[in-house]
Amino acid sequence: MTDSIPTLPSTTQGLAFLDLGERLRQRGQFEAAATVALAGLVRYPALADAHDLLARIRADQGHDAPAIAAWRAALECEAGHVGALKGLAFIAFRAQNFVTAEQYLETAASHAPHDATILAALDRVRSAAPAPAAETFRLDDPASGLLLFDAQGMRLTGGIGPGSGERDADATAAEASGLAREADRATRFLRLGPWQQLVMESVDARVAVLALGAHATLLVRRSATTPPGRLLATSARAAELSRAWLEQSS
Amino acid sequence: MNVPHWEVMLREVTGIVGVRGALIVSADDGLVVADSAMDGLETTDVAAFAASLIARALRTTTAMRTAAPSRLQVSAEGGTLFAVAGAEPLWLVAVADTTAELGRLRLLLGDLAVVLA
Repeated sequence: MTDSIPTLPSTTQGLAFLDLGERLRQRGQFEAAATVALAGLVRYPALADAHDLLARIRADQGHDAPAIAAWRAALECEAGHVGALKGLAFIAFRAQNFVTAEQYLETAASHAPHDATILAALDRVRSAAPAPAAETFRLDDPASGLLLFDAQGMRLTGGIGPGSGERDADATAAEASGLAREADRATRFLRLGPWQQLVMESVDARVAVLALGAHATLLVRRSATTPPGRLLATSARAAELSRAWLEQSS
Repeated sequence: MNVPHWEVMLREVTGIVGVRGALIVSADDGLVVADSAMDGLETTDVAAFAASLIARALRTTTAMRTAAPSRLQVSAEGGTLFAVAGAEPLWLVAVADTTAELGRLRLLLGDLAVVLA
């Protein structure tokens, strides 16, 4: 799983522990592999690949919580670390949390669009997952790709998907509120009436922004492979959930 | 492709029922490069708002650490504004009312934006 080149200032020889730890892991010598990985992390605490190695060892040992913690640490060191995203998807898949697994893999695919192993894993997750209608939403989960914010661009809850932190979500809320205001101004001036939703498509994401009245806006982020109709259907359901959340919070 | 060809292309877009106007916009400055519109639709206004929306959308996707948007669709109670990126800085923009077949319009704009160079 580890195939990226560490970017920290270091010699190749100094990072040999990554290869050694990986070989020990593949031989099933997990305790020895963990010792090597932990020793490497003492020296290189900000090296995402070292956290990734430790996470894979823990996952092989069946210790999911430490594995998740280590992969999250890898993402803290290097946002979008593909190995960490694949690992977190694996844990989610093993727990039959197919929606989360798919989200992690979609994010990984956006960082490594030509990685055939990610696309194969996505196919496997999607074939195992129940129908899209059964998709569940959690507004308080930043990995859900649902971001609710107020008219001033302040985040109320949620986030913009796996691998992104609170700072990214706050920045997105601030910018998206300006986008929503501009959409409202444009549609009223062009006599199209009050705006309802806005969809942006790029090579790595599809994003819907929905007006939830005068005081709140919802942003829904999905992968670029999500069909446009499904994005809108998902967004409509997420908007209902958001309205309920707003009522409970007021 | 030159402006007369673009105008032929835009008339193809406005040939779809419910499309009130189509135009090519320079997103850098919000100016109309070519247009085809029904009476009552001020394409200069559409171009200015489209450019502003594109700029805001770009800032939002930058904050999200995703790629720049290549399509934008704003839906309102009385219609929809579509914008599809062509060769930088040009965007193909259309305004449609609620009777338009949006799926067909979306596909046509995508096809035409490719040849917008």
